[in-house]
Amino acid sequence: MMYRAARVAFTFVMMNIAAVAGLFWLGRGRGVWK
Amino acid sequence: MELLFWTSAALIAYVYVGYPLLLAAWARLAPRPPQKHQFPAGHWPSLSIILAARNESARLPVRIANLLTLPYDGPREVIVVSDGSTDGTAEAVAPFASRNEIRFVGVPSGGKPLALNAGVAVATGTILVFADARQRFTARALSALASNFADPQVGGVTGELILDCESGSSASSIGDGVGAYWTYEKWLRRNESLVRSTLGATGAIYALRRSLWRPLPAETLLDDVLAPMRVVLDGWRVVFEDQAIAMDRAAPDAAAEARRKRRTLAGNYQILAQEPRLLFPIVNPVWLQYMSHKVGRLIVPWALVALLVASIALADDRWLYSLALVAQLGFYALAVLGARLEARDRQTEQRFATKLPVAIGKEAQ
Repeated sequence: MMYRAARVAFTFVMMNIAAVAGLFWLGRGRGVWK
Repeated sequence: MELLFWTSAALIAYVYVGYPLLLAAWARLAPRPPQKHQFPAGHWPSLSIILAARNESARLPVRIANLLTLPYDGPREVIVVSDGSTDGTAEAVAPFASRNEIRFVGVPSGGKPLALNAGVAVATGTILVFADARQRFTARALSALASNFADPQVGGVTGELILDCESGSSASSIGDGVGAYWTYEKWLRRNESLVRSTLGATGAIYALRRSLWRPLPAETLLDDVLAPMRVVLDGWRVVFEDQAIAMDRAAPDAAAEARRKRRTLAGNYQILAQEPRLLFPIVNPVWLQYMSHKVGRLIVPWALVALLVASIALADDRWLYSLALVAQLGFYALAVLGARLEARDRQTEQRFATKLPVAIGKEAQ
């Protein structure tokens, strides 16, 4: 249970860091495929 | 500092608790499900399924076969657009060339948005269906998407992307977190659809009326948000259809998921520059939802930092602030534990992947 909560917490933090990184990364994403 | 604390806390709480509760109540009190129905035989709209691909020759034969064999009572065409592929994509499509429903378009490498534009330019169907090479559609996908267009207010339909990690069967080292997030995200989309419109679509499976399509700018990062949101801004609804399913797997690890999220969030910033109308309630019919869901997600990271800073500064003032600081530190410690678990899982998988061929080789000897 705690391990699952830890994994979800990590994903949440990682996604929020990605949101900030996305702002700085914007403009360099041309041609990137999903 | 107290103002910073309470503003940040309120914003985070609204985005992740207040807005979902508001949405749930709204969807319960004033639901507006689309007036979808099965079309009479011979009256199903014609579909142009557009599959933009770059170097997907290994996946395309199976994918095209999947799209051709799905039950659908109306006419369909599958348009494969190769965006500067160098792996023999044209040859992979060649075996299907004798079939009238298959069309191949080769364009110089220019990115997915331009490939989609090229596909739409040659499409003849009333409804455009967008698909990717990697996923598979389930049997009812096409008819479920199309049936929503019986509602004259519906301009677009997004299907449901189901990830393997949602059922716990994923090999991804970040499957638990992504599965929880994706389940929550789809719940929001389902309810947003019920009150008016989803705020975008799932790139792996969505459909738009061809008459509403506007060519995408080359630099677009999120075609599956920009195109549907333009339809919404023009006064149409984009709805969620959970019977139209595409199956996929989660990103293999945290690094891959972080890259994907970084791109998605960058796209969410970009779209505000591409469509500033989204920020104005007079012209955006889903303004509250957009600000709460999409813009809120862009602000929350900064609010988290502000909340932590304010909590540290205020910790000595009152027990409430001390408690808030302890709670945040506890949460981040939990996240660090999650990061360690993810790293351990990834190493285990790599070791297993390295040893397995050797073991199989020894077995064979």
